[in-house]
Amino acid sequence: MARFVVRRLIQMVLVMFAVSILTFLIFNVIPNGDPAVRMAGRQPTETQIEAIRKEWGFDENIFVQYFTTMKKVFTGDLQSYFTQLPVGEEILKGLPRTLSLAIGAAILWMLVAIAFGLYSAVKAGKFADRFLTIIALIGISMPVFWIGALMNYYLGFKLGIFPNGGYVEFTEDPIDWFYHLILPWTALAILFIGFYSRVLRSNVLDTINEDYVRTARAKGLSERQIMLRHVLRNSMIPIITLWGLDFGAVLGGGAILTETVFDLQGVGQYAADSIGQLDVPPVLAVTLFAAFFIVLLNAIVDIIYAYLDPRIRLQ
Amino acid sequence: MATEPATTDEAFRAPAAFEEEARREGVHGVGPWRLGVRRLRRNRVALFFGFLFVLLVLVCVAAPIWSKQVAHTGPNENHLTDRIVVDGEEKDVVALDGVPIGPTWQGEFFLGADKNGRDVMVRLLYGGRNSLVIGITAALMTTVLSIILGLLAGFLRGRTDTAIRGLLDVMWSFPVVILGVALGVALALGGLQLGPINISGDSLLITIFVIGLVYIPYMARPVRGQVLSLREKEFVEAARAQGASPLRVMFGEVLPNLASTVLVFFTLLIANAILLEAALSFLGAGVRPPNPSWGTMIDEGVDRIATAPHLTIVPGLMLVITVLSLNVFGDGVRDALDPRAKVRLEH
Amino acid sequence: MGKLSSRLLVLFVAILSVLVMGACGDDDDDGGGDGGGGGAARQGGSITIAQTSQPDYLDPALAYTVNAWEPMWLVYTPPVTYKRAEGLEGTELIPGVAQKMPEISADGTTVTFTLRKGLKFSNGKPVKASDFEHTIKRVLNLESGASSFYLIIEGAQEYVDAGKPEGDISGIETNDETGEVTINLTGPDGTILNVLAMNFAGIVPSDTPFEVLSADPPPGVGPYMFTKSEPNREFVMEKNPNFDIPGIPKGNIDTITTKIVKSAERQTQDVISGELDFMQDPPPADLLPQVKAEYSDRYEDQETVNVYYFFMNSSIPPFDDEKVRQAVNYAVDSRALSRLFGGRLAPGCNFLPPGLAGHEEIDPCPYGDPNEPGDLERARQMIQEAGVAGESLEVFTNNDENRPEIGQYLTDLLNKIGFKAELTVLDAGIYFQTLGNEKTKPQVGVTNWFQDFPHPANFLFLIDGDTNQPTNNYNFGRVDDPELNNLIDEVEAAPADGATEQAAEADRYAVEHAYVAPYGSETNATFMSERMDFENCSLFHPVYQNDYSSFCLK
Repeated sequence: MARFVVRRLIQMVLVMFAVSILTFLIFNVIPNGDPAVRMAGRQPTETQIEAIRKEWGFDENIFVQYFTTMKKVFTGDLQSYFTQLPVGEEILKGLPRTLSLAIGAAILWMLVAIAFGLYSAVKAGKFADRFLTIIALIGISMPVFWIGALMNYYLGFKLGIFPNGGYVEFTEDPIDWFYHLILPWTALAILFIGFYSRVLRSNVLDTINEDYVRTARAKGLSERQIMLRHVLRNSMIPIITLWGLDFGAVLGGGAILTETVFDLQGVGQYAADSIGQLDVPPVLAVTLFAAFFIVLLNAIVDIIYAYLDPRIRLQ
Repeated sequence: MATEPATTDEAFRAPAAFEEEARREGVHGVGPWRLGVRRLRRNRVALFFGFLFVLLVLVCVAAPIWSKQVAHTGPNENHLTDRIVVDGEEKDVVALDGVPIGPTWQGEFFLGADKNGRDVMVRLLYGGRNSLVIGITAALMTTVLSIILGLLAGFLRGRTDTAIRGLLDVMWSFPVVILGVALGVALALGGLQLGPINISGDSLLITIFVIGLVYIPYMARPVRGQVLSLREKEFVEAARAQGASPLRVMFGEVLPNLASTVLVFFTLLIANAILLEAALSFLGAGVRPPNPSWGTMIDEGVDRIATAPHLTIVPGLMLVITVLSLNVFGDGVRDALDPRAKVRLEH
Repeated sequence: MGKLSSRLLVLFVAILSVLVMGACGDDDDDGGGDGGGGGAARQGGSITIAQTSQPDYLDPALAYTVNAWEPMWLVYTPPVTYKRAEGLEGTELIPGVAQKMPEISADGTTVTFTLRKGLKFSNGKPVKASDFEHTIKRVLNLESGASSFYLIIEGAQEYVDAGKPEGDISGIETNDETGEVTINLTGPDGTILNVLAMNFAGIVPSDTPFEVLSADPPPGVGPYMFTKSEPNREFVMEKNPNFDIPGIPKGNIDTITTKIVKSAERQTQDVISGELDFMQDPPPADLLPQVKAEYSDRYEDQETVNVYYFFMNSSIPPFDDEKVRQAVNYAVDSRALSRLFGGRLAPGCNFLPPGLAGHEEIDPCPYGDPNEPGDLERARQMIQEAGVAGESLEVFTNNDENRPEIGQYLTDLLNKIGFKAELTVLDAGIYFQTLGNEKTKPQVGVTNWFQDFPHPANFLFLIDGDTNQPTNNYNFGRVDDPELNNLIDEVEAAPADGATEQAAEADRYAVEHAYVAPYGSETNATFMSERMDFENCSLFHPVYQNDYSSFCLK
């Protein structure tokens, strides 16, 4: 086990390194044009462009450029050219909001997905199952920003049931914090509920036919006990690993759309705003850190999976 | 996230009921394709949605017909100061305060007008063309590249495999939306230069390229997994024993057997590509104005949601119906072709 | 009680009643108010207002946007400033930190003024004459967007070229003992007083560092001072106890908190519900009908001095042909464009907008009444006759607000009259630079201009052949007509109201020769919450727009 962990961590570091190179290429090398001009954002003066060129090493060879860029990112030396604010600080400010959104939505989707999935599996083939499947498929087919915008307007602005977007700090008012997050959580969760409930459903249906379940039944355990103790637990393993991956993906991507629609001012929205303003340093930093986070999560998920399923370790 | 394909290893395992069914049918001896088609034909729901999708595509293809014969206007034609007669009453296409007219259910402005006085129905159809072209082409691009990478990695193994897996790992780690937006913006400014080919930042090709690239790991991995398992099968050994070159074996024996996996993934890929295009266009990093696409229409509609909700609702509904059709049909295809498909996502 | 005591009692009651009535009478006197936020308005209180985006800078040397100037002009006062009044009266210059209006020498190259005695910054430090030179140095050294305005000072260019912050600007002489400031110019300039009235010349202490200070703005001389600045979240202004300049109101509200709220819809809803007291931008077009219908008692449209127009490059085909430019003017329909502004466009065919000295309404408009439809038939014919039908055009616009829609309207219009036009949407951040670069050779596109200061030269320079330069050119149409250039020269040499006839003539000339296709001015708005005294306390200034120092609570 220990050897696997070490191997996996080394792999993780290598991937992070490759990710950093790829990010660097995307922002500085691949696109046409002068990177210093691109970096300088709006209305730059000649002196500013020159200063940026020197600071980031654009007049040097590509390896120096890469190292300079990485050094700036990791020493927190990145500053937005548009707002003059240090990027690291802004990301830290937005992080609790993004995490609130992602974690809350993730919990919501898991709970609902488990309920839907189990129920579907139990009623497999019957009307309830088909109905829930259609619902799930509709959920997967909806663009999150669209349903979010509609909910925000109709439930928030028009009917006034929910607040019209915005975010309240948990430290300021926990109840208001919760209240403001209900709609964003729902919008984000709808998509995943559909997906995970179906996965759980098919897992459960498979597990039901396994031998050990038949043995449990023969032993006289109640259906309910079998469901919860054996079937659910074993169906959950792959779900948990998927969940870890998707959670990382949400933080890196889906959050952007939800945050923008509901004006939550999290890290995703920070990235989206910066992109709109052609402000490269924040986008660079957010992309890098989101990718790193995903890589880290992948590694953790792999390790957990290996712990639960010894066969994987031997690969 | 709307941009993740609804496929995983477990999602591919259908209930044991299907196995029972197969046994009952006594279908030994019938080829997998025939069997699949037979099963699919019995799945009414999937068929319905499959036809629905084809219908939507045809309707969008017929955009010029609607535009000329029914609406008498093009997708980019402004009618800001026009007046039309609705139910006997003369109304402004766009009111003085900028509010466009809602659906008239008549030939002209069937679904109403947008901020510039353009016909929403016409734009919806032309936008659908763009969204569908981008979705399908991007999915094709992903499929082709994934097959190549998957074949190379799974068949040749060794260092090629490690290199390709590493590459896929790296791409896999990139948050899809951020990567799409970053690439979209970075390339949109200056365009893309691939050797002698210079694509302008405005072109649809950039969006197709970005989306196609982003989804490669999602398909390449399962393909690789399939290749790995197919490799050990007897018919491959037989071919090798006959002296066929690796290339011959790859394309002659392994590839055809990948078809079912690829087909299922392809359908679902289109669905996700369309959704990703909408997301990117919504964030301003996909299709650029004035080209219409369902994503840009939603983006333009959202700041008029109080006074002209049809601008947001209509393109969104089209998106949902199209993607839903693809998802249901794709689901049906999967159920039909390979009820016990064990296509694993490598961790 | 004896007779004496009862008389004493009556006397006592009488005196008491007189006192009481006197007090009541005083209250009555205080009851009346006036629009300019004079002494009669209710004092005190704190309000929260919102902006859609962070001001580009909260540093007086650099801030160059309307949403920055609205707070800034209450915190920093230059040597001269504008009268706090509405309409044309608000474009009158009055002394700011200068004792009286500066004196300009006969040849127009020397400007002298003396600082008021006893002036203090918001931190209590006394203001010295040398602080003025330091203020200008910061503008030049930090490469402010406004540096070009101050290069007319002798020695300014040399100071910039030397690149040393602590260098000396030879053209500015100051005497800290007498408070006298002498400025030598490289040549006479009719706009110099307006330039000295810009926020950039808002005086700051000599120890203000040569760096961008948005996160910690320097002290200034003004009715308010910044007490907190959290960029992208909020900033706070409080009344400055050390401020006392006659002619400049001290403000009524004690504390003004400005929050950055990205969604204009949320701002509108919050002003409706009272959570916000004021929003700097007008309500979005989507909610405007509702606001106008239900809250008209606290909403008002405001005219601002700006012009929206299409530029046409008269130095290259096809717009080098005057007939072709005229055709476009005939086709443009202001009523259509007005809808793209949600109704917030005042149509017009003048290039110099109303509210500006030198504006004379052009009546009748040479290319059709702006309130009538465009003449597409005629335009099409003219294009045919000019032989340019079918030519391809690249139309430029940017992605801010409604500019994409305007660009799409223009592209469609040009196609309708016979061209093959395609739209290019550039990001707003690089738009003006790209257009202003001679390599781009833009043919036609969407643009507008908001006045920097109320002088017609500030608009006319956009069509002045003398200002054409290879980069950072604002004369996108590359207009270069000798007769027009001469007229503009005369306008530039005189103060704002000194050459109004020439300005009006230049305006007419440019419009008749169709060098530009103006279609109107955008209106701004004032929208306040229930508890604000909208009727008496909302001054809309022609240059700085909403004057927070006029605000008061009911």
